[in-house]
Amino acid sequence: MTLPGRESTTPRPASADPPPPDSPPVDIALDSPPVNTAPVDVASDSPPVDTASADAPAGGDQGIGGWRGGAGPEPGGHASGGSAPGGAGGRSDGTAAGAAIGWPSGADAAERRSRASQSFWTLVVGVPAIFSVLRLGVEAGGELQTTLLLVANVNPVNLAAALVTTAARLVSAGLVAVFAIGAVLLASAEAAPTHRIGRHPPLFARWRAITPPWVVIASFAVALATWPILYLPLLLPAFTAAFQLGPARLDERRIPRLLLLAALLAGYAVLMLPTLSDAWQQREAFAVLVIAAPPLLALLVPGPVPVAVARPLAMTVQLAVLAMLCWAALPVITTPVLPLTVTTIRADGDGGGTGSPGDPGTGPAAPGAVDGGVERIRGHVITTDDVSMVILQERGGVRYVPTGQVEEQVLCPTEEELPRYRLRIHGFHVEDSLLEGMGRRVRPVNRIDAECRTATTVP
Amino acid sequence: MTETSLRGRVRLLGTTMAVVLTLLLAAGAGCDSQRGPEPPSVQEKLKQSHIYGQSKLRIGVATFEPLMGVLDDNGKYIGFDIDIARYLAASLGYAGDERIEFVRLATEDRIPALQSGQVDIVVSSFSITEERQKLVSFAGPYFVTTQEVMIPVRLKSEIRTIEDLRRPGLRICVGGGSTTEAELEKHEVRTLVVKNVRDCVQGIIDNRYDAVSSDETILAGFRSQHPTQFEIVDMPFGTSEQLGVGVPISDPALRDLVAFFLQKSYQDGRNGRTSPWLSAYHRNLGPWLGPDRQQPPPLNVPDLVDFDEKAPV
Repeated sequence: MTLPGRESTTPRPASADPPPPDSPPVDIALDSPPVNTAPVDVASDSPPVDTASADAPAGGDQGIGGWRGGAGPEPGGHASGGSAPGGAGGRSDGTAAGAAIGWPSGADAAERRSRASQSFWTLVVGVPAIFSVLRLGVEAGGELQTTLLLVANVNPVNLAAALVTTAARLVSAGLVAVFAIGAVLLASAEAAPTHRIGRHPPLFARWRAITPPWVVIASFAVALATWPILYLPLLLPAFTAAFQLGPARLDERRIPRLLLLAALLAGYAVLMLPTLSDAWQQREAFAVLVIAAPPLLALLVPGPVPVAVARPLAMTVQLAVLAMLCWAALPVITTPVLPLTVTTIRADGDGGGTGSPGDPGTGPAAPGAVDGGVERIRGHVITTDDVSMVILQERGGVRYVPTGQVEEQVLCPTEEELPRYRLRIHGFHVEDSLLEGMGRRVRPVNRIDAECRTATTVP
Repeated sequence: MTETSLRGRVRLLGTTMAVVLTLLLAAGAGCDSQRGPEPPSVQEKLKQSHIYGQSKLRIGVATFEPLMGVLDDNGKYIGFDIDIARYLAASLGYAGDERIEFVRLATEDRIPALQSGQVDIVVSSFSITEERQKLVSFAGPYFVTTQEVMIPVRLKSEIRTIEDLRRPGLRICVGGGSTTEAELEKHEVRTLVVKNVRDCVQGIIDNRYDAVSSDETILAGFRSQHPTQFEIVDMPFGTSEQLGVGVPISDPALRDLVAFFLQKSYQDGRNGRTSPWLSAYHRNLGPWLGPDRQQPPPLNVPDLVDFDEKAPV
């Protein structure tokens, strides 16, 4: 029986990557390469994943099968994030096999899985929640009272939706990177089971090994929908790496394989050549590279890398990916939760009850902000009721504006939304995601309201 | 055996190179996604211009030039120049007449008004000339016109050529500080200079002058007011007049912005869409100059980035 998640992690044909002579003994009915399995006599489809983390001998010379048993958890059992979905993804209980090799009993394993699942869902819910609160703190300009005001008024569902909208790109990028790099490192580890990297595969390789294919595919699907179209070609080498899909997988025979490859490349060329030509004319070197290179890289990237390269590559890349994710997470934290608006209010001259809990000094309308009896406030509307509209000003401070004085309100874009490229792929702007591009087709008119240009809360 | 080993090594090398290149490309994409737009944005230019933060945009206009710029009996500004001015103001962030301060300017006051800071821009049949470009900046042209002569119907058999204008005793009137004045001087035509073309027209009606020379657009406006009393004579004065938007020479950012928005209107017209220019033309000049005119392409248009660039084209 084929193990879910295993077949695709090592799809290389046996001829391309013969098992090393000193591979651990394997006697299981799998169609995946034996190096990816536990060194046990198992005839079931039960991967011993996320179990025995504490029981696995530390640094024992178990070969690849050995780490699979203890793969999930790094110190502290933190692989639960990856293992829980696996548990939901059809991993069967290998109690008998586990008992045979000294793994926890069925009850113990079930308890561990339950704990892992709880940890996973705690992370899934907790991390975004903490992230959201951090965002609110940043949005409030660091003012405690303003943060509390935001917490009291921002709907949690809206907050979560706003987080998903802005963070889906980053999260999917992180997952795709982990799975693609992990699969390459995993293949390298499998190719050298007696080497240190084979006995102790890198973190990303272990994560990739315990992740069910549907999670990997879902990550790529989210990336496909949310990444800027310009970067979508990068998914090609990432996909072939993550699933180790070499050209040989297309067809075993040479001629049909070449024909298929030629057809695929021709299709890609038809899709991309006009944009590639525009990018060349506009001297956008990076755009040319990122469009032209990935299909070729996708052909070469599946397979192991030499052991001498794999180890330093693993260390460097894992750190780099984590560092880049942290770096890329900063804009997500600083992206506003509430939409930017310009609110035009009639300045009645009675002070209007305008005030700020975080910045009492801005109470009445700032001198000069009123023009001909009208004031324009650029900021984020926190809440509105019968009495007042509460606006978090872009420059800081909260304004309470009597609702009756509000004359007009317009939605404004931010400067971060300005495009950097003038390239389109069949009408889609390259910096839009597929979702955004389709949205623009539904609502093609993008009118910038005049107030967005000049409303600065006039000095 | 050796061949297999060699192929394996080549394969390993290829994979290594591909992995490294893919990682570099991905890192490049990460950095690329964080950088800002290379050409300056409209918003950046706006912040550099002197109008940023102003509550109103002060626009110098003519109020006595029918079809181009008129203050009507209801106190409302109408005309082709006025509509262009409104479009530019809205593009710059000043939508609606409550955010525009129209400043009435005589022809000769346009340059001093810009130099003194009395107005932010001038949209008032302002011809682009080399001499003027030393004193103010221009964005445009937004209209190309020719110089014409308007005569009362009673003289239509007497004035047909430039030679006729040189005849002693003929009183030719022009607006002060206009390009027409210089052009007629070049043709050795003696002129009587008044403050506005309107004064010339009134003078002809009062029999104080015999003819008035000005831009085709301005004269068409007065003829629209007195269709039975006047006739326009097409004379080969030579160069065409390019009307532009006057901007203080000290504010290149504002000039760039005005040129950018004129270009935007021009592109809309070229793409077969209704443009602000076409709307203004058909509402004001079209019935008198014909429906076939197109907006001329503006010159020296900067490359700016705006929020609507991702919109489907």
